[in-house]
Amino acid sequence: MIIAAWICLLAPLAAALLITLLGTRISRRAAAYVSTTSVLSSFAAALVVFAKLWAESPDQRSHASTAWEWLNAGTFHVGLRILVDPLSVMMMLIVSGVGFLIVAYSIGYMDGDDEERRYFGYMALFVFSMLALVQAGNLVILLVGWGLVGLSSYLLIGFWHERPAAIAAAKKAFVMNAIGDATMALAFFILIQHGQSLNFPDTFDVGPGHGWLVNLVALGLLGGAVAKSAQLPLQTWLPDAMEGPTPVSALIHAATMVTAGVYLIVRTHAIFEQAPRVQELAAGLGAATLLMAGLIALVQTDIKRVIAYSTMSQIGYMFLGAGLGAYGSAMFHLMTHAFFKALLFLAAGLVIHALAGEQDMRKMGGVGRAMPVTRITFLIGSLALVGIPPFAGFFSKDSIIASALGQGWYQDLLFAVALIGTLLTGIYAFRLYFLVFPGEPSPFVEEHLMHGSHAVGVEGAHGESHGHDTHEHRGEGPFSMTAPVLVLAVLAVIGGWIQFAPLWHPISDWLEPVARPLTEPTNTQEALASLFAVLLGLAGIGVAWVLYSARRWQVPRWALGQRLLEHKFYFDEAYDFAFYRPSVALADYLRRWFEEPVIQGSITEVAGGVRDLGFWTRRLQTGLVRTYALAIAASLVVLMVVFVAVR
Amino acid sequence: MGNVVVWAVWVVAAFSCLASGIAVISFTNPFYSALALIGNLASLAVLYLLLSAEFVAAGQVLVYAGAVMVMFLFVTAYLGGHADAPWAGGPSWQQFGAVLAAGAILVEVIVVIGLKAGGRLSHEAKIDSNFGSPQQIGRLFLTDHLLAFEITSVVLLVAAVGAVILGAHSRRSGTTAGVIHEREVRARS
Amino acid sequence: MLGPDIAWYLAVSAFLFATGTLGVLLRRSPLIVLLSLEIMLNGANLALIAFARHQGDASGQIFALAVMAVAASEVVVGLGLIVAIARKRLDLDVDKLSFLRG
Repeated sequence: MIIAAWICLLAPLAAALLITLLGTRISRRAAAYVSTTSVLSSFAAALVVFAKLWAESPDQRSHASTAWEWLNAGTFHVGLRILVDPLSVMMMLIVSGVGFLIVAYSIGYMDGDDEERRYFGYMALFVFSMLALVQAGNLVILLVGWGLVGLSSYLLIGFWHERPAAIAAAKKAFVMNAIGDATMALAFFILIQHGQSLNFPDTFDVGPGHGWLVNLVALGLLGGAVAKSAQLPLQTWLPDAMEGPTPVSALIHAATMVTAGVYLIVRTHAIFEQAPRVQELAAGLGAATLLMAGLIALVQTDIKRVIAYSTMSQIGYMFLGAGLGAYGSAMFHLMTHAFFKALLFLAAGLVIHALAGEQDMRKMGGVGRAMPVTRITFLIGSLALVGIPPFAGFFSKDSIIASALGQGWYQDLLFAVALIGTLLTGIYAFRLYFLVFPGEPSPFVEEHLMHGSHAVGVEGAHGESHGHDTHEHRGEGPFSMTAPVLVLAVLAVIGGWIQFAPLWHPISDWLEPVARPLTEPTNTQEALASLFAVLLGLAGIGVAWVLYSARRWQVPRWALGQRLLEHKFYFDEAYDFAFYRPSVALADYLRRWFEEPVIQGSITEVAGGVRDLGFWTRRLQTGLVRTYALAIAASLVVLMVVFVAVR
Repeated sequence: MGNVVVWAVWVVAAFSCLASGIAVISFTNPFYSALALIGNLASLAVLYLLLSAEFVAAGQVLVYAGAVMVMFLFVTAYLGGHADAPWAGGPSWQQFGAVLAAGAILVEVIVVIGLKAGGRLSHEAKIDSNFGSPQQIGRLFLTDHLLAFEITSVVLLVAAVGAVILGAHSRRSGTTAGVIHEREVRARS
Repeated sequence: MLGPDIAWYLAVSAFLFATGTLGVLLRRSPLIVLLSLEIMLNGANLALIAFARHQGDASGQIFALAVMAVAASEVVVGLGLIVAIARKRLDLDVDKLSFLRG
């Protein structure tokens, strides 16, 4: 089992190295297959691990394996340690399974791109990094995986590196993630200083005497989670990250990397439980984010941005769940969200690919006429997102909402916010669906899809990208792209049936040894929450139908609100003013008053000094015998003194 | 009475020694310098005699003044007396440095000897009449200092060989030296 | 011993040596340089003889004789060099004879 776990971790790394070393000696397709096969092997290995673990009794289900210890300082030991337990196995399955589907999809999506090999190398690297994160047996390896996924995200967002927007987005993502990394590192320092081992689970025994220290550690961890999962206040990088290719958005910014924050909180829940205020803060941030993201999604015009904000919102739900202590529900929602969000992104990718890179929803309409399969899958994904039974989202989301009931005024407030979020989800999701798929094809769609024009596949309507072969697009995309979408659609339907909270909860039971939930909603609470959630979801769908499909009413115009939402609540502007401008001013000041005169000046001074020294030394080399004789005489003089004095 | 005579002789010899030494380095004409050196050597021989080194004094006059200086004079005559201004040429600090170095050496030697030897210089050893005589020198050369004797003879042999080689006329054409010689002769004409 | 102490002879020797050094360092004709070198050697010889007398050990005189022999050999070779240089029609000026300069 341990071997299988190591194979699961290392297969994608091997693929990435192989692709890097072979370079242009293999064809682009071959690189794609190498990458896909490695992720498939990871998934197979993860299944093996899961089977073996399931065969054991619940209290036995925790195995650690250390490859070697590389840090030994007194009582502090850190090794390359992986941990196999219910939580890590669940994440392994999700990451490798959904990862495999998305990488397979990329074979068709990225076909023809000049730098396809680099893409698949990066994807393999990413899968390895994410697996390292979830399989980590101590906080250090987790941090290593954390950093590597940030790196992979940077590399993949900026994949089309001739586009300045992509480069800027990649930098923004990386810098904001770095803030989270810093807070996490500080948290680790505090743990180390208090003699903690960083291995799971020993790291969680921060003693009761260290009251406010535990809060600091929890805050540090929360900072990292917030940055990685794009929650308030570090959420601004996620919409920009949509500059990357669509499969990247699906894998990294929907299904896996952004959920790493949730995983972290669930994994270190013991620390959070010792700092209850911070845990409440996490729940509050999740709720605030889900509301804010839902609102902003209402006015977005880019398909991928809508789905991105939807991701932000759904992760808010997961944070809410983890913050309330409903770890099983939060992880369950993580799983179902991976299915339907990846589905939505990939289906959107099919549309974008067919429309030669166009992402503006306003130009689209009636795509369903030419792409019926895509339309159905997208509809399934949207229904799952809103949480309509019997689709996946219903089962997972409502448990979280129900967990908020009956614990106090703060949690009741969160409950209300979560319900409002459901309404908003219905509106924006189906706004997207109704604008793009049903009805008569718009002129743009007519031109590109209906008559099978030769499209030069260029992702993104703005700016250039790599060379891309021409394909004919008529109707649905190639099989390699539609197959994963279909698989995900099936999962989005049945994925939720694995847990129906009051009656049947294998997921929560599976996770219980690792993360015992703090609250268990009663059956009535579950029923109540579900009822409200479904009703509000349907109401949202209805509003969207009225506004965007049947066009009975006009979309209300409220200039101030519109501006506020379009500027994403002015977060970008605020951060620019508060952080970016002062930094630039400081850098400028330092350059003018310190760098140039002192550092550069000193270099010039040193160079000048050496040159002068050389000049004076050169004058001794006269080439005349007499000068050298003088030198001998002078040394004689000196030596005589030395011999006399020293003896 | 004997003391006064010896003192007088010493003063004359020492003075002429120093004067001729300065003369050697001051004359512009090398011929005069060589002649001054002969005078120097002669005065030194006198001083040697005062120090009971008869054989050495004889050797000085015969070998040094007789053979070496004659050779010098031959070469000077062969070359002609190019004169050069003694204090000219070289880098600016050469003269100043030279005077400084020479002065420093002088001062240091005197000081060192004064410091280290001090009062002991006044007490010389007692010697017999055999001291410095050819017998004693011969005996020492062939017993205690045989190695020095032999090595000195080898040195002289090497010098003789070197002189022959240096003095030999190289073939004017055909060899590298001859070619260079031809080229230089043509350049200067 | 009659006459001056050894110290006086040593003073003369030091002076001769310094004079010779001055000559070597200041003159440009190789002939004069050789002559100055001879003065230096003679100065050393005088010191040797003086100390031999002072110690009563004739080894100093042996040493002086060896020095004389070596000086003679050196003059032979030096003069041979100077003649060879003159035969090549080069200037007999130490400052100009710097072909081995690096």
